[in-house]
Amino acid sequence: MNYKSIQAKVLIALVVCLVLGTGCVVGLMHYFTVQNSRGLATEAATGSQKLFTILEAREVSKMTAVSDALVINTQVRDAFTARDRSRLLALTAPLYPQLKSEGITNWMFHTSEPDMSVFLRLHNPAKFGDHLNRFFDKEVARTHAIVSGNELAKAGFAVRIIRPVYDSKGAVTGYVELGEELGQFMRAMKSQTGDDYGLLLNKKFVNKQFWSDSSATLKRRDNWDDNAGFVVADRTTVNDNIIKFQGDLATVPEDGSVLEQYQDGSSVFVRAIFPIRDAAGNTVGAMFVVRDITAVYTTMRKTQNILLVLTFVSLSGGILIMLTLLNRFIFKRLKHILTAATRLVGGDFETEIKTDSEDEVGQLEQLFEQFRNIFVSVLADISATQAPK
Amino acid sequence: MSQLYDLKVLIETTIKDKGMDSAQVRGEIALKAGRLLSFISPTTPDDPAGVAKLKQAIKEVLNINA
Repeated sequence: MNYKSIQAKVLIALVVCLVLGTGCVVGLMHYFTVQNSRGLATEAATGSQKLFTILEAREVSKMTAVSDALVINTQVRDAFTARDRSRLLALTAPLYPQLKSEGITNWMFHTSEPDMSVFLRLHNPAKFGDHLNRFFDKEVARTHAIVSGNELAKAGFAVRIIRPVYDSKGAVTGYVELGEELGQFMRAMKSQTGDDYGLLLNKKFVNKQFWSDSSATLKRRDNWDDNAGFVVADRTTVNDNIIKFQGDLATVPEDGSVLEQYQDGSSVFVRAIFPIRDAAGNTVGAMFVVRDITAVYTTMRKTQNILLVLTFVSLSGGILIMLTLLNRFIFKRLKHILTAATRLVGGDFETEIKTDSEDEVGQLEQLFEQFRNIFVSVLADISATQAPK
Repeated sequence: MSQLYDLKVLIETTIKDKGMDSAQVRGEIALKAGRLLSFISPTTPDDPAGVAKLKQAIKEVLNINA
């Protein structure tokens, strides 16, 4: 092929268009895939955060209802007012297994201020008399109203409610507390969404000795030294990918944020995070969410590949059609004119160019034919002049 | 006879010997040489530039050194 020809230049331009067009489609599809993955991760974070809030509200409501029934039970109230631990235990212990089966794993009675010590732990009756001195205790003593929210205790990080118990004269005789471990929330969330969760707590808000005691109570390994800035309170998977984190848990945005998309074997996951606050409003940790997007990702990739092939085929087809048309309407006719002109100069005066086309090349063909006739006529005149008389 | 005419004879002999398309080959040579072969006769006067151009055209089209 003559690379100086228009045909070659047009072909090169079309091939460049093909490459650019295909490249643009690949780029666009990659952009959409990334955006969709990010959208899925964002949805995982916001959806999980909403679900967590709903579950938290539902459980607080349930525990409030249970506490309502407890504080109006005169036998329980009188036993507590009389500080009769054995009787109080006898009255409440039969209820504990049922509450535990409903997820309420922590149940405590506290004496009133200023002592505010633990009077009875239904989940650990042998242990009592200690002072927890948490935000919860101070807040309920200050307000004498129901306080609810997340709080770390030796039995773990849990959503709790604490409320005053009044004696028959209407004076505050102490407080009753109910709590559910957040680990249960995570498993409930996993059963609803299929996502995996990991709860991390900022070490700034956790006492090392407290965590060690809590680990012993819950019969789990003390993982305090596993990570520099945080401890893993619970997680629904043994995969360490869920808790990989380098930043500061305190800076996690209120609405959560997307961390990454990663591959594990043939599966594709997105990871997001949302903050967890305690009852005092401190961002004490964060919940990690890992969503398996393999099915969606595979579909996106498949669509991407189909679009890529379709784009390549349609562009190639378009280029082929364009080249065929250019060849038929321009290049072939130009070549015919060139050949006729060359032959005319070589002495072939008979090769006519017949055309009825009125396009640009047709005008050139008509012009050439007129020129050919004049040329032949001039040659004939010259030959007649030079012929011997 | 002139050198130009000798070259014309060489061209026509070569075309005939090789069975080439006479009008096409003569046309290509004429276009490259810048003169019509039909107008070259035994009495056509030689000019060095015209001869050189015709020799060059013969070399390019017929690939022979005249």
